[in-house]
Amino acid sequence: MPTSALVAAAAESLINKILSLDEDSETRLKPLRDARLTAFVSPLPYGITLSFSDRIDVLTEQGTFEEAVASLGPKDCCIKTSLQTLPELKETSQLTRLIQQKALVLEGELKVAQHVSALFQQLDVDVEEILAQKTNDVVAHQTVKTVTAVHEKTMRALASIGQVLGNAVVEEKQLAAHKLAVMHFSDEVNVLRDRTESADARLRHLEEKLK
Amino acid sequence: MSDNQTPATYVDSANDNATEQTTHFGFKQVDKGQKASLVANVFDSVAAKYDVMNDLMSMGVHRLWKRFTIDCSGVRAGNKVLDIAGGTGDLTAKFSRLVGPTGRVTLADINLSMLKVGRDKLRDRGLVSNIDYVQADAEALPFPDNHFDVVTMAFGLRNVTEKQNALNSIYRVLKPGGRLLVLEFSKPTTEQLSKLYDMYSFHILPKMGQLVANDAESYQYLAESIRMHPDQETLKGMFEQAGFEQCDYQNLTGGIVALHRGYKF
Repeated sequence: MPTSALVAAAAESLINKILSLDEDSETRLKPLRDARLTAFVSPLPYGITLSFSDRIDVLTEQGTFEEAVASLGPKDCCIKTSLQTLPELKETSQLTRLIQQKALVLEGELKVAQHVSALFQQLDVDVEEILAQKTNDVVAHQTVKTVTAVHEKTMRALASIGQVLGNAVVEEKQLAAHKLAVMHFSDEVNVLRDRTESADARLRHLEEKLK
Repeated sequence: MSDNQTPATYVDSANDNATEQTTHFGFKQVDKGQKASLVANVFDSVAAKYDVMNDLMSMGVHRLWKRFTIDCSGVRAGNKVLDIAGGTGDLTAKFSRLVGPTGRVTLADINLSMLKVGRDKLRDRGLVSNIDYVQADAEALPFPDNHFDVVTMAFGLRNVTEKQNALNSIYRVLKPGGRLLVLEFSKPTTEQLSKLYDMYSFHILPKMGQLVANDAESYQYLAESIRMHPDQETLKGMFEQAGFEQCDYQNLTGGIVALHRGYKF
């Protein structure tokens, strides 16, 4: 089974479902009509193309970044980056810095990337309203309230754990001597032992002389 | 399945003097002139339930095979695409969005029933502006030379009487630089999978056809026609014989299906 096709199909269904839950997404999709954004994100083994019409089609790119760039159309954009850099792409003001640092390679129409970024960042899905249509207002409100509270608590707990771990790494780990320091100490002990042995030998020699 | 049901290798009847005037229709030998109408009967019979049966028979995997074909097509906005034996328009629907308003997709099928089902389905989805519907024989495509950027044929080639003629005809209508993609049942790559697949297609498939489409014979033909279709390497050779270059194929789902690709330069 072509795994890439399965991943693309799942991503396509998910993206279009989420967009359908936000009424304003249609307006934000308009400037992207007939445009394409191709992203090669290492270490993913293939590129992903988002093709925009009245919906988004997700395709996998079987060729290389260079091949994709060679076939760019006037409304296409192609980027190459890594998973670590992806979160930074949210801030469009950071693009220049990322390009200069070679953490991002961008070819084609920059506006396409900016519109895509806006499309997803400005997503406004009223989960409570959607849930209320399938259950009722009280259940929806309580569910969303509980999930939000759990989410906040989890995030707080994670932040706290992170802080503890951070402190442990920064403060506690300092107690353990560095490998080089241990080697240096070891060398000094060896020198001291040699000197002690030498002094001991000289003392014995002097004792024998005095006898 | 008895031994005489499955031929060991594909035999191109066009090159065999003894059977010059006959060809295979499943495991039967029929007059070449008859095959098109027999295949037409099969598809007339299954057209209405074609999509449901495809989903059932492949457990939905045919959608992934077709999606992979589209991924490999390299279709761009403004391209002209020909979807031969396009049937109920699975590939055409996606191509229509990918080529956009400046491109054009032609859904061609020799069978009018299938074409009508495909046309209705695509119109119901609101896909009307850039699709043409043409009833056409793959062996004699009614299009100008050097016309299409991409030609696809998904699960259609094995039903064509003279496969080499179809490939020659496709080569003619492709633009230089254009590519052909043929998605077709092929030969499983392992013996175990092959046995399992035989059991499924000769024992379960016809019963499924009987149950859902009330037509066991058509699905018996499907299983037989798959076994009579050229294997991966033979089909690749036929691509090359037609003039295609940089020909290759990719086995999908253990070789049950293979995607062949060739370029015209």
